[in-house]
Amino acid sequence: MSDAPILVVGGGPAGTSAAATLAEAGLPVLLVEQRDQLGGAIHRQVARGATHAVHAPARHRRNWAELAQRVDAAGSRIELCTGTVFLGVDGDGRHLLDDRESGRVVARSVRAAVIAVGAVEKIHPFEGWDLPGVMTAGGAQVLLKETGVPPTGPILVAGTGPLLLAVSAQLAKAGNPPVAVLERGRPWVRFNSLLRMAWAGPQLGEAASYVATLLSHRVPYRTGADILSVREDDVGLEIRVRRNGTVHRLRARHMLVHDGIEPNRVGIPLSDPGGAVPVVLAGDGREVLGADAAILDGRRAAREILARLGMRLPEPGEARLTAARNVQAALSDLFRSALPEPTPETLICRCEARRLSDFRSLPDDASTREIRLMGRFGMGVCQGRFCGPTIAALRGEAVPSAIPPRWPLRPVSLAALADLKTDDLES
Amino acid sequence: MARPSSMHVAVVGAGIVGAAAAHFLAAAGARVTVLDASGPAAGATGASDGAVSVASKRPGPMMELARHARAFYGQLETEGLFTGLFHRRSTFLIAQNALEAELVSQHGADLALAGERVIEVARADLVQRIPGLGDGVTAALEIPDDGHALGYQITARLLQRSDIDVRRRAPVSEIMVRDGRAVGVALTDEILSADAVLVAAGIGSAHLLNLGDILIPRKGQMIVTDRASTGRPAIDGHLMAASYLAAKRGIALDRSHIGLVIDPLVTGQFLLGGSREDNRSDHRTDAVTVSAILRAALELYPPLGARRVVRTFAGVRTASRDGLPIIGRHPHVEGLVIATGFEGDGICLGPFMGESAARMILDRPPAADLSMLTPTRFARGGSSA
Repeated sequence: MSDAPILVVGGGPAGTSAAATLAEAGLPVLLVEQRDQLGGAIHRQVARGATHAVHAPARHRRNWAELAQRVDAAGSRIELCTGTVFLGVDGDGRHLLDDRESGRVVARSVRAAVIAVGAVEKIHPFEGWDLPGVMTAGGAQVLLKETGVPPTGPILVAGTGPLLLAVSAQLAKAGNPPVAVLERGRPWVRFNSLLRMAWAGPQLGEAASYVATLLSHRVPYRTGADILSVREDDVGLEIRVRRNGTVHRLRARHMLVHDGIEPNRVGIPLSDPGGAVPVVLAGDGREVLGADAAILDGRRAAREILARLGMRLPEPGEARLTAARNVQAALSDLFRSALPEPTPETLICRCEARRLSDFRSLPDDASTREIRLMGRFGMGVCQGRFCGPTIAALRGEAVPSAIPPRWPLRPVSLAALADLKTDDLES
Repeated sequence: MARPSSMHVAVVGAGIVGAAAAHFLAAAGARVTVLDASGPAAGATGASDGAVSVASKRPGPMMELARHARAFYGQLETEGLFTGLFHRRSTFLIAQNALEAELVSQHGADLALAGERVIEVARADLVQRIPGLGDGVTAALEIPDDGHALGYQITARLLQRSDIDVRRRAPVSEIMVRDGRAVGVALTDEILSADAVLVAAGIGSAHLLNLGDILIPRKGQMIVTDRASTGRPAIDGHLMAASYLAAKRGIALDRSHIGLVIDPLVTGQFLLGGSREDNRSDHRTDAVTVSAILRAALELYPPLGARRVVRTFAGVRTASRDGLPIIGRHPHVEGLVIATGFEGDGICLGPFMGESAARMILDRPPAADLSMLTPTRFARGGSSA
């Protein structure tokens, strides 16, 4: 098995950094990315054929240029599989990859694995979040990075967290500033958190530049605003918002929502650095620490693998990870807010069309299994990737990890899976 | 014992058999506590296809009992308890070569002998009813009186429609016995006293009753696809390959351990199964077995090639050493009834067996002769295997 590669899943900053570090230590690496280019959500590159480029902070551009150069320098030590979806690990320890370009599912034997699948956006559900005009702010941002073109017509940005500011500023610079930014929290009143942010790093400066952009485009930024519901009619969306006890009705063509991010864990293999095939999580998929820290965390994951294989280790970067952790703690305190209770009709699981009332009709002490079987939550095509975190939040519990981890993590062509290819290392 | 109103019964296991027993005990007036290490339908009940099928049963007592059990579903559907949960649906027994045709034909004769309606369907007619069927399908028998029900829905309904105390995350560590009589069950930090105990805990019954050398876990891996249709089954019938019959009849057609069924769910999805892996009690699924099931399914029904796999899962059936279920009074302990070992037939047999177990606890005779299923057969050291 010593010539088997180290599998790195995810070509964002954490995965790319882990792959480069492992390759630089002399190991063969199999780097798997579901999109057609490396970059992940944060360093999403302009789509092929698109001409516009969206403004990104200089620090991010520098970081990505450096990572891309390291991948280039690694040459054939990194086998790059783009357009390939990681389907998970099966019960016999096979790492399953769905190469959607060739339509093949392959089982690869690997020496170790770094899973760096990033974060998922949280949405606190409200009636109408599933309407076609509503999308996540992070999703809209990635689309903007790929195409350079903002959605046309009035845009409302709502939810909580610093991403609302970033997306809104990018929309403004791309030529369509939002009609308003509605923040559920009240960051201005949390002076201590603001102070901690100021000491912590460049993030506050970045936020200030976004605020300046919004001010120059006269985009109102309203805090303490709860989204109650959204309805659609022939002219667009009508959004009901509660602020300071008063309910307002706003109109927009598009609504971008976002309630922070959390590690993408549903169905993902558990960390097992001591296993026969060591598995290490990295980046925002392990702990949400942001784009800069993801690069460090990728290297930390690589170090963990190298240490396990008895190889020489590169410099550690733990101190800067701790600093990033402090920034995230300050941020989450800054934007802390109480969540409004969704109405009973609010959709929770889009795949199976299950509502909050369906969830509430389950016994209070229902097992995870009953929530799936009787509630049908997490039984649809997404297998709980989207509703899992919402259900966990409703129950006040951590996202339940499936034991054993489930595969396939994504729907896979039945014909391709029937025609499974296992690599030569397997008899 | 005969006055249920003064009785407290502890039912260990909230699968379909335990839930049915609890339901009928409560309906008879007993106070019932159902205890499960996890929750309702957490074991094989929640990880199975929904075949309420006589077509698949081994000739002999199992075929007979399955006919009773399926009729019981029909009765409970008519009476309202299973309204909306039990549907009549044909089973098609399908042969893909001469050897399989012979087996299917023999099985059809056995079914007819047991009183079952069996219809020979020519390939042309079958393809008309199930368009896209594989070229290799040579012959089929239709068993029109079979049915379908989802084990976890039946279990939930049985528990809802009666006054039962269901205790989740309540693992039972021991059956308490005093003077040769069951007097309760031991939980993590509590002894729950009871006048009678039913153990219907699937493979979990093994450690409670020291049945480790009698009960065999048999893992089955299954696959669920995305929807081929919306709100109704994508094909009109349950497809059962001869390989499944062979497995049930204890015949090795080839070296694979797959008995193929293609189960069209009411959601429009397909459930494809399954493997038969003896002495495996884990719930892992592996890509090699799954792809083998998929290849067999594609050969039988090629339109599946357009589907996507959304989920794989495994269930653990509990088989007994001689292949027959175990239901009856404990040979040495009064007030203790056992119901386990239903292998892959638990959904079909469950409500009937649960009701029978309830009768045994109430000292009433079951509606069918279950003497060949008594646990005493193992106590005597006599095994028909």
